[in-house]
Amino acid sequence: MDATTAPHRIPPEMPQYGEANHVFELMQNMLEQLLIQQPEDPIPFMIEHLQRDNDYVPKIVILGPPASGKTTIAMWLRKHLNSNLLSVESLMAKEYSSLAADARTRYQKFQTLPDMLLVRLVQERLREEDCVRRGWILDGIPETREQALLIQTLGVSPRHVIVLSAPDTVLIERNLGKRIDPQTGEIYHTTFDWPPESEIQNRLIAPAGISEGETARRLLEYHRNIVRILPSYPKIVKVITADQPCVDVFYQALTYVQTIHRSNAPFTPRVLLCGPVGSGKSLQAALLAEKYGLVNVCCGQLLKEAMADKSKYGEMIRPFFEKETAGPSYIIMKVLRQLLDQQDCAERGWVLHGFPRDRDQACLMDSMGYKPNRVFFLNVPFDSIIERLTLRRTDPVTGERSHLMYKPPPTMEIQARLLQSPKDSEEQIRLRTELFYRNSAELQEFYGQAITLNGDQDPYTVFEYIESGIINPLPKKVP
Amino acid sequence: MAVTLRGRLATSQFGAMEANSSRELEARNYLEKHRIMELLTYLASALLFFRPEKPREYLISILERLRTAKVSGVAFPFFMDNSNIAAMFQMLDSSNKGSISFIQYKEALKTLGLCTADEVLKDDGHGITCEKFMCEVNKKTQEIWSAF
Repeated sequence: MDATTAPHRIPPEMPQYGEANHVFELMQNMLEQLLIQQPEDPIPFMIEHLQRDNDYVPKIVILGPPASGKTTIAMWLRKHLNSNLLSVESLMAKEYSSLAADARTRYQKFQTLPDMLLVRLVQERLREEDCVRRGWILDGIPETREQALLIQTLGVSPRHVIVLSAPDTVLIERNLGKRIDPQTGEIYHTTFDWPPESEIQNRLIAPAGISEGETARRLLEYHRNIVRILPSYPKIVKVITADQPCVDVFYQALTYVQTIHRSNAPFTPRVLLCGPVGSGKSLQAALLAEKYGLVNVCCGQLLKEAMADKSKYGEMIRPFFEKETAGPSYIIMKVLRQLLDQQDCAERGWVLHGFPRDRDQACLMDSMGYKPNRVFFLNVPFDSIIERLTLRRTDPVTGERSHLMYKPPPTMEIQARLLQSPKDSEEQIRLRTELFYRNSAELQEFYGQAITLNGDQDPYTVFEYIESGIINPLPKKVP
Repeated sequence: MAVTLRGRLATSQFGAMEANSSRELEARNYLEKHRIMELLTYLASALLFFRPEKPREYLISILERLRTAKVSGVAFPFFMDNSNIAAMFQMLDSSNKGSISFIQYKEALKTLGLCTADEVLKDDGHGITCEKFMCEVNKKTQEIWSAF
C-alpha cells in the first residue's frame, strides 16, 4: 500500500475546528444559494453572500385553520425575533408596487388572488433589504398546494413550518368572539383576550365573515388544502395544538423556531460522562461503545492495566494505588494520551469516564488538546446510589458479579458464598460521593455546554437520552 | 476529508431537489461550467488547513484575491507549489525508481481534487516521471482556475 491508497491520517484539530465553526453548514448554505440563484459570476456572488451572514436568520411559515390564532402568534414572533411579517393583506397594501396595485384591483373584483400573482408579490417582498437581513415570517401563505410548489420553484424555502391545529367546534365558537382593533390591527376576543383599556374596548369592531356558516365553509376549504401542502415540507413541520392558552402556544412556537435542525455534517463523537460513583457511567459507556463503535476509555481500568503490564507509568502509579489515594494528574494524563493519540481513537471517537475529576484535571486535558464535544452529567440521588452499590456481590469461585436486587444469583448455594467488596461499604460510598459533589460544580462550569440527565432510571432510558444528546446539535446560545 | 465533505454536499443537495429532471440537469451543468465543486473543495480545505480565527473573513479574503487575480492576470493563489508537488511525487515513488505507475498517478490526482473518478486519462505504458507529474498537475490546476 503506498501513500495514495492508505487511509488518510487527519490531525484531530481539523474535525474539531470544523465542528466548532460549523464549516459544513456554511458551505452547504453557500452551495444552496448558488444553485438557486445560478449567478453568471459566482465569485462576487459568494463574496456578497458571505458578507451578508444571514444563514441563521428566521424563515418561518405559520399555517392553520381560521380562528386558530395564526396572526396573533405571527405578530408576537415577529416582535420577539425582530423580523418581518408577511400576510396576504400586508402584501396587497404595499405602496409603490405595480404588482400590489394589480392585486388590489383583482381582489376587489373577484375576492381572490391568482396564485402566480400572490407568489410573485411574496418574492418581490422577500428580495427587499430588511427581509434579507432580518428574516421573514409568512402568515397563512401558502394557502394551496399550487402556491406551495410555485414558492418552492422560486427558491424560497422556510426553515421552520408551524401548523396550528384544533378541533373544528372549538374554532367555530372561537371565531364568533373575534374582534379587531382597526387602528393597530391587533386581534382580540370577547372571552379569552379582552383588552384592559376601555378606549381600545370602545374601538373594537367585529370583522366580516365570522358567522358559524362562514367559518365552517372556510374550515372545509382549509382541511382540503392543508393535507396537500404539508408533504412539501417534510422534516421541518411542527404541529402545535391551538386549543390552549395563547401564551403556551407562543412559547412552544418560540422554542421550536429557535432549534437548529440536524445537518449532514461529519461528526465523530468525543463524549465525556461525569457522575458520582454508581451513577452508571461504565454501563452507559459500554453501551455507547458497542452501538456506535466508539473506543471505551475507562480511566480506572486503564490505570489498572498499566500497573498489570508493569509499564513505567504503571510503576509510578502503584504506590498511590496501594495507599488508595488518587495519583498525580500528569501521570494519569500521560497514560490517557497513549490511548487517545492512537489512530483508531481519533477516527472512531471515544467515550471517557472516570477522568477528569476536578477543574485542574479538566484544564490539563483541555490544554493537551483533548476536548470532548459532548459532556453529560448523570444525576442520581444518594439513596439510589446506596441501593445500587451496597447490594453488589462477587462470587469468589467463578468471579461472576451479581446484584441482589437487579441481577440476583441463580441458586441459593451461590448466594451463600457471595462476598461484598470492602469498597462497596456505605462509608466508602459516602466518602466518594461527597468527593465528587465537591468538585462537580466547578466541572460543570468549566464544560459550559454540558447536558445534565436524570440517572435514576433504567439503563436503556438513560441511554436513549444520551443518544439524543449526542445526535441533536447543541442548542445555539440565543443572544 | 475535504473530498468526503464535497461528496456529502453533492448528495445532500441533489437529494433535496425534487424538481423535474431538466432543472436538475440545468443545475448540474451550472456546477460543471463554473467548477463550483472544485472551488468549494478548495475553500473548505483551506479553512481546515489554516484554521483561521474568523472563517468568514478568511473566505472573503481568498475570494477577493481570486477575483483580482482573474481580472489582472496575476498568479492564482495555488494551494500547492512546485516543492510540494515534488515532495508528493517522492512519497509515491517510495522505491526511488524515478517513475510512478499509472494507477498511483490517477489516485494522486483524485486526492488533490484535480480529476473526477470516472475521467479517462491516457496510459502511455511508460509510467509517469517526476517532470511529467509536475507538468500535468500544474496544467490541470490552471485549467480549473481559469474557469473562475
